[in-house]
Amino acid sequence: MRSSPAKLTADALSVPGWAEAVETYFDRGWSDGLPVVPATEDSVHACLDAAGLDPGAIVLTEPVRRRAVTAEKIAINAVLAGCRPEYMPVLLAALEAMADPAFTLHGAITSTGGSATLVIVNGPVREALGFNSGTNVFGPGWRANATVGRALRLITLNALGAQPGTLDRSTQGHPGKYTYCIAENEEANPWEPLHVTRGFAREASTVTVFAAEGPHNILSHYGETADAIVVAVADAMAGLGSFSRGESVVVLAPEHVAMLARDGWTKPRIREALYARARRTRADLKRGGKLAGAVIPDDETHWIHRGTGPDDIHIVVAGGGAGGHSAFIPSWSRERNSLAVTREIRPARGGPP
Amino acid sequence: MIRILDPTVAPAPAESSLAKRIDGLDGKVVGLLSNSKVNGDVLLSLVRDELAARYRLREVVLMTKSSASRVADDTTLEALAARCDVVVTAIGD
Repeated sequence: MRSSPAKLTADALSVPGWAEAVETYFDRGWSDGLPVVPATEDSVHACLDAAGLDPGAIVLTEPVRRRAVTAEKIAINAVLAGCRPEYMPVLLAALEAMADPAFTLHGAITSTGGSATLVIVNGPVREALGFNSGTNVFGPGWRANATVGRALRLITLNALGAQPGTLDRSTQGHPGKYTYCIAENEEANPWEPLHVTRGFAREASTVTVFAAEGPHNILSHYGETADAIVVAVADAMAGLGSFSRGESVVVLAPEHVAMLARDGWTKPRIREALYARARRTRADLKRGGKLAGAVIPDDETHWIHRGTGPDDIHIVVAGGGAGGHSAFIPSWSRERNSLAVTREIRPARGGPP
Repeated sequence: MIRILDPTVAPAPAESSLAKRIDGLDGKVVGLLSNSKVNGDVLLSLVRDELAARYRLREVVLMTKSSASRVADDTTLEALAARCDVVVTAIGD
C-alpha cells in the first residue's frame, strides 16, 4: 500500500486501448524494434515503490550529452522492457556501475565498435529473482535475464538518446544489444565467484557490467584435460579479429570447470596461463591490419599479449551441466578506456531483495 | 482509453555559449586537437597545410587527447583555450 505517491511528470498520451498503445510506442520510436509493455502510472509507481525512490530522484547522469535520468524514466523503461518491479534494485546497481567513469558510458554506447552492456549477476539475488546461470545462459527463456538486459538497452535508447544512426554509430553491433544478462553458476564454481574475486563478500549480491562484444564459442570436447581447455581458450583469445590490450571475460562451462578443478587448476593459475598464451607477434598484428606500418624483422619476435596482465581476465562459471562449450567475451575497449565495473545490489527501502 | 508514459529524456540545456567569431586567420594561433587514433594527426597536418597556404598563421599548436573514447581532459582544453584563437579537432582511425 502506498499513500499519496509523488506525482509523475513524464508526458502522457491517451490511446484507445492496449494494442494502440503498443503501436504508439513503435510509432514514436520508443522501442527496440520489439513490442513493449505500455507504461501506465500504476505500473510505473509499482516500480518506484519497489526501488524505494521518488520519481524525481536522479539515478544516472551522462555528462557528455548532458542527460540526467530520473527514477521515473528508469521505471518507465523497466515497464516497457517487461521487468517485474522487484528487478529495480538490479537495474539501479547496473546503472550506477555504468555511470562509473571507468566504464566510459558515452563511448561504450556510441562507438562504431558496437558493444553491448553485458551484465553478470552474482549472489543470492540470482535465486530470489530467478536469474538463469545454467542451460542456455546467453539464450532466451528467463524473464529476469531477458528483461533486465532489455531495460538497460531501452534506457540507452530512450533516456540516453543512443539511437542507431544518430548517437549510436555501431558499424554492425551484435544481438546482445537487445539483451545481454547472465548470472554466474556459483554452485558449479569450485573457486571463488566473480564478485568475491572483485572484492565483495560472498553473501553480497552484485552486478558487473562490461562493454562487450558478443560471446565467442570455445568448443573443446575431446582433450578432457585442463591443458587442452586452456589451449583452446587462449587460442580464441588470441584471434586477430578481436585482438587488443583490452579486458576479457571468460565464461567457463561447468564441464570444463570440473576438468580444470580435477587437474588441480586454480583461478589465478588459469588467469596466468591464459595471459601467457593469448599473445601475437607484432608481425601478425601488422599483417592483419591491427597495427599500422610494414613488417620489419624485429616484429617477428616481439610479442604482444591480450590485456595488460592476468588480472585483465575475468573468469566466470556459467552454462548447463552437459557440453564442452565455454565462451570468450572481449571488451569493446582496445586498451583500458572501458573497464568492467561491479556494484552491490542494495535492498530497496522496506522490502526484498 | 489508457494513458501511457513517455520514456525519453531530453538533453539538459547547454550551459556554454558560442565563442566570439573571428573574421580570418591572419595573425591567429590555430590549435589542432587529435583524438589520438591512427591518422588523426595525418588529417590534421593536411588541415594545417591548407590553412597555412591560405592565411599567415602566427602559430600552430598540436595537441592529442589522452584517450580516443573520452572527452579531452580539462588540462588539454584549458591549454588550448589559453593559447589558441581557434581550434580544429579531427577523428582519425
